[in-house]
Amino acid sequence: MIEVEHLSKIYGSTSAITDVTFSVEPGEILGFLGPNGAGKTTTMRILAGYLPATSGTARIAGYDVHENSLAVRERIGYLPETPPLYPEMTVEGFLHFVTRIKGVPAGDRTQKVNAAIERCNLEEKRRVLIRKLSKGYKQRVGIAQAIVHDPPAIILDEPTVGLDPKQIIDVRNLIKSLAGTHTIILSTHILPEVSMTCSRVAIINRGKVVTTNTPDNLITELVGEQGYELEIEGDAEVAINLLTTNPEVRLVESIPSERISTQTNLNPNHCWLRVVSASQTELGKDIAAMLVNAGIGLHEMRRLGATLEDVFLQLTTEEKSLAADETDSQVPIDTVPETAPEVPIDTVPETAPEASTEGDAA
Amino acid sequence: MNVIVSNILAIYRRELQSYFVSPLAYVVAGIFWLLSGLFFVLILLGPEGVLAQVAALDVQGQQVGVPLPPIDVPYEFLRAFLDRLGWLLLFLLPILSMGLYAEERKRGTLELLATSPLTNWSVAVGKLLGVLTFFTTMVAPLLVYEAIALGASSPPFPPTIPLLGHLGLILLAAAILSLGMFISSLTDSTILSAVLSFALILCLLLVDLIAKSIPGPVGEALGHLSLLKHYTNLVQGILDTSGLILFASYIVLGIFLTAQSIDALRFGRS
Repeated sequence: MIEVEHLSKIYGSTSAITDVTFSVEPGEILGFLGPNGAGKTTTMRILAGYLPATSGTARIAGYDVHENSLAVRERIGYLPETPPLYPEMTVEGFLHFVTRIKGVPAGDRTQKVNAAIERCNLEEKRRVLIRKLSKGYKQRVGIAQAIVHDPPAIILDEPTVGLDPKQIIDVRNLIKSLAGTHTIILSTHILPEVSMTCSRVAIINRGKVVTTNTPDNLITELVGEQGYELEIEGDAEVAINLLTTNPEVRLVESIPSERISTQTNLNPNHCWLRVVSASQTELGKDIAAMLVNAGIGLHEMRRLGATLEDVFLQLTTEEKSLAADETDSQVPIDTVPETAPEVPIDTVPETAPEASTEGDAA
Repeated sequence: MNVIVSNILAIYRRELQSYFVSPLAYVVAGIFWLLSGLFFVLILLGPEGVLAQVAALDVQGQQVGVPLPPIDVPYEFLRAFLDRLGWLLLFLLPILSMGLYAEERKRGTLELLATSPLTNWSVAVGKLLGVLTFFTTMVAPLLVYEAIALGASSPPFPPTIPLLGHLGLILLAAAILSLGMFISSLTDSTILSAVLSFALILCLLLVDLIAKSIPGPVGEALGHLSLLKHYTNLVQGILDTSGLILFASYIVLGIFLTAQSIDALRFGRS
């Protein structure tokens, strides 16, 4: 449905994206993941026909986005970084306007506008001026304008920015409900979003696609290690020295108390360790035996699952240190994954949605 | 073809709608009505007005004993009035045209228009028609009091001259707005757009004077570009094809440049 081949975009002398290649099958949701400034918006704009590429081709539904721009534009819905809204119009009036410029036949417009309003939960705001809406509602009107004409391909640039957690869940469900009948490509820098909504992920960093895969495969393939979090009673130094003697253990470090994932009822006499094995071998049994034999009390032992966040940081920071290696880097690549915060996926704070609840309570 | 018309209509309706809910548009219309009403009263009834002047001439003629040739009062009045209105437009039209594209750029809605199945020029045509319609509704009330004043003239004043005069006013406005729209597409600052449009329009109105100081064919050619000269012709009741072509050229040029500048904006974006 969406095919991107060797796409590059150069602004003046800086290159925004280099040789980006990926494809999206019909009915699929592709998550486009990358840090800010990685080239997500540029790629999205090229796909939407807003910017021309310097080289390479992009096709949507078989039409080249540059050669057959009008044919492509009829078939896409696009939500730019900032939702394109006319503040002086009502939600309903604006969506009607969008159906008109998207070429929806006159007889279908009301029905499509109503469907989009319902899908985006905008019923109670349909006659409100967009100027008076809160940020969260504006974002939803932005999504509504991208789907109102029922396009086969939908391009969403950071669709959940500015929403509160409940709205984020609503929007994710909305996006998931569009899958199957629509092909969706969405960009984000929020990791849980990708693992929750997308069937595939393309990670982009510094203008290059680092990898494309399903979220699950990414985690299992790219993180070939097992980690444990231990709560022990006794001298941390002794325990660390002891555990390091095991050849299977690659790293032992103590965890500062503010970074422990279970934050309640911390016993001040206990200390916390993080153990990472060198391979996929299960070390739990050995660790427990070593500690108990040495007379150290083991209070809790948890396996740390790698998260997409680890993968993301590994891929994107590896790039950085590779680039740095070329000059004078002291950062060996194999220590990079340890910089990843071991926050399990469900507790990741979603890049603090701005307070946008004033008008939403109504 | 139908698609293009319906696209233009969609843009036109949105544009027009936005003027009728915009406080700025009402302020502009209010100032226009206030000043044009003031001109109307001063030119017709003021101490230096047409009626007072004609009366003074009449008295003078009687004193000398030689009756002066009769003066066409309604014609003189209309000419003076429309001439003042032409100058008033110079200040007001840049305010109407300044937001046409600058606002779209600032709000990011240009990205919506540019990724919809619309051509650049159908957007430009729709916008120009929208702002022109708003301007026409601004001018419409003036017709009422002109009709009252001119209706009182005896012998009856032929309607062709006011008709041509107002056609000229609309054409002049269309040419200015079209160029203003182009300037608006160059920047995302509405103020900058208004100031630049004002400067450009001032040049085009005054090109007549500049041309006169340049001798030879260059000056003559420049003189033909003057908006004010052709407007004055129409106001005087002279329907001149070259004038109509000039106005049409300015309008088409404005639309063409706007479409090009939006293309350039997207293609050369950095």
